[in-house]
Amino acid sequence: MLTHIWKKEIRGELYTWKSMLWLVIASLLFSFTSYLLLTNAELSLLDQTELMWLLGKIIIGVALLIVTIDASSIITTEFEKETAESLFLAPVSLKDFILGKLFASLTLWAAIFVVSIPYILVASAGSGLGLAFMGYVALLGTIGVIGFIFLIFGISLLYRSSKNTITTALIILLAFATPALFTSTLKNDIVSQVFSAANPIDNMFNSLDNVLVDYKTSLIDNWQFLLPLVVFCMIAFAILFLSAKRFEKQGIVKND
Amino acid sequence: MKKTAIIYLFMVLIIGCGSARAQITGAPLLSMQILSSKTLSGTAGDFVTVEGQITNAGSKPLGDVTTYLSLMDNQNKLPVDLEDWSAEKGLYIGTIDAGQTLPLNWKIHFVKAGAYSLIIIAEAAGNDLPQVSAITQFNVSPKRNLNPGQVLPVALGTPIVLIFVLFMLSYKRRVDE
Amino acid sequence: MPDIISAEHLSKSYGAKKAVDDLNLQIKKGEFFGFLGPNGAGKTTTIRMLTGILKPDNGKIAIDGHPSEDKQQIAKIIGVIPESRGFYDWMTAVEYLGFFSDLYGIAGEEKDDRIASLLSEVDLLKRKNSRIGTYSRGMRQRLGLARALVNNPQILFLDEPTLGLDPQGQEDIQILLKKLSARGVTVFLSSHMLNEVSNLCSRIGIINGGKLIAEGTVDELREKTKLNKDKTLTDIFLHLTRNNP
Repeated sequence: MLTHIWKKEIRGELYTWKSMLWLVIASLLFSFTSYLLLTNAELSLLDQTELMWLLGKIIIGVALLIVTIDASSIITTEFEKETAESLFLAPVSLKDFILGKLFASLTLWAAIFVVSIPYILVASAGSGLGLAFMGYVALLGTIGVIGFIFLIFGISLLYRSSKNTITTALIILLAFATPALFTSTLKNDIVSQVFSAANPIDNMFNSLDNVLVDYKTSLIDNWQFLLPLVVFCMIAFAILFLSAKRFEKQGIVKND
Repeated sequence: MKKTAIIYLFMVLIIGCGSARAQITGAPLLSMQILSSKTLSGTAGDFVTVEGQITNAGSKPLGDVTTYLSLMDNQNKLPVDLEDWSAEKGLYIGTIDAGQTLPLNWKIHFVKAGAYSLIIIAEAAGNDLPQVSAITQFNVSPKRNLNPGQVLPVALGTPIVLIFVLFMLSYKRRVDE
Repeated sequence: MPDIISAEHLSKSYGAKKAVDDLNLQIKKGEFFGFLGPNGAGKTTTIRMLTGILKPDNGKIAIDGHPSEDKQQIAKIIGVIPESRGFYDWMTAVEYLGFFSDLYGIAGEEKDDRIASLLSEVDLLKRKNSRIGTYSRGMRQRLGLARALVNNPQILFLDEPTLGLDPQGQEDIQILLKKLSARGVTVFLSSHMLNEVSNLCSRIGIINGGKLIAEGTVDELREKTKLNKDKTLTDIFLHLTRNNP
């Protein structure tokens, strides 16, 4: 059942150009960044691994932003355009509905990752770290994106409104992303360090740094970053689960 | 240039103060030397070993001796955060007997190209001020594996291919309708 | 004849407002049941509870013997035109019915044949490959009916199926509903069009303030109100709802 919902979403995103436009925007951002990093006289003085790290952060950051915006409307439009009632009148369970939408959002992330591959290859040429770079962008991006999608879907089922969901989701994304951009010297106090250790975006960026700058490419070397990311996903899933329970209790139609 | 001179002056002052204090108080003297100064230069991305030694030049054993590496970026006139450069910034030595010399080793990773100044700092129980080695200067040359020529086809080609697909979808949609 | 729809002591409140209050309803297999009531009387809430979209606060529902908790099983045997009339505007009629056929597990040749026959039945064959976004209101209503029939349902719940249609559109839908009823499909029709209900329905239930205030054939209702034989269903409806606020 979920595959039909997944396919419907993909077809819809292609027909309405939404996904394609996102991919074009992502590729333009990657092009601009990689061209600047590789050709600008001062930026090209950066060590190659540092440059790869910067590009990796931009790929994950752009993907998170695009998936957040897209996922914020993928569930809520069904309520706003009044298509949810017909859908749930068919033998579709809430689980199928959520999983179908989750796979559709993950497909968008997968497409952004595929678009980023040529940039990853160009930036990592000769470093011997190309595969590790690609692998970790895929792994960290996938775990991070899944966590954010769970969170956004939880908010979507709560609000059932695109505007409210997107505003809340962007505030959450910014709250995580802004401290992650601070250098480690600005995170000397205990509060910043604890927040940094729990912040999924910080952990994604630090793991990339660990792989690219410190050459620690094994999963064991990165467990301290992967574990908090997985915990974030579990918390986000718990929020989605509670929100889905509340949704089932309220019914498809919130009020008459 | 002026800034560099001030930083060097500051470092020399630290060394000077350390020596002066040691002489004034008559406290036992620790002396450190960087032995691998000639092999230190390399390319960004290289891993090298900083070899050094520490000698207790005094007449009494010294306890709780700890040594540190300190790195200064000559171009940016800033101390370098060694977080990415070396897993072990500090080495705990423990006790050094009078006249004893012990080897020191740090494995460091040349993260960024540039010109750097390196010193070893040592602390011991009973010494109010740290002891500082002489400055060793080295260069890290940039790693130029990148071919900026490769980026242009990718940076232009990828969006062009995607825009083409977008137009094809639009065309198909119009034909369908 | 067994009851195909059974609701006992059904209640639903929205905050302090009781939308449906201790409603009891039994509909026999093959019946064409008309469900009437003024705006806000609880018609849509009742349909939503019967179709499994809304959970009742109290009461029991059975659809062809399946309890309301068995939503997946109920969904397979019912077809619904709900109050909310949203469509995926970017789809064509064929894609839209194809998507819903997939959801019901109808595939291959059976799916193609079903879609073609439904589109022909609702007179949308000529526009089958046009985007739904380009359809008129009447065409969308007909497509909604085709979607409700995609799983060949035993029971059809219709919430104002002719709302906003011109007389021709209304007649087209009515003819189609008569055909379906003749095939043995049980129809639960909620409508404000009293003529339509009078023409189509074998039995009528009237709801007001969340309570079922009357139930029976048009003649039985007339008898209950003690109105003259020349009085129409509209007169009966107004009499009953005014006297049972």
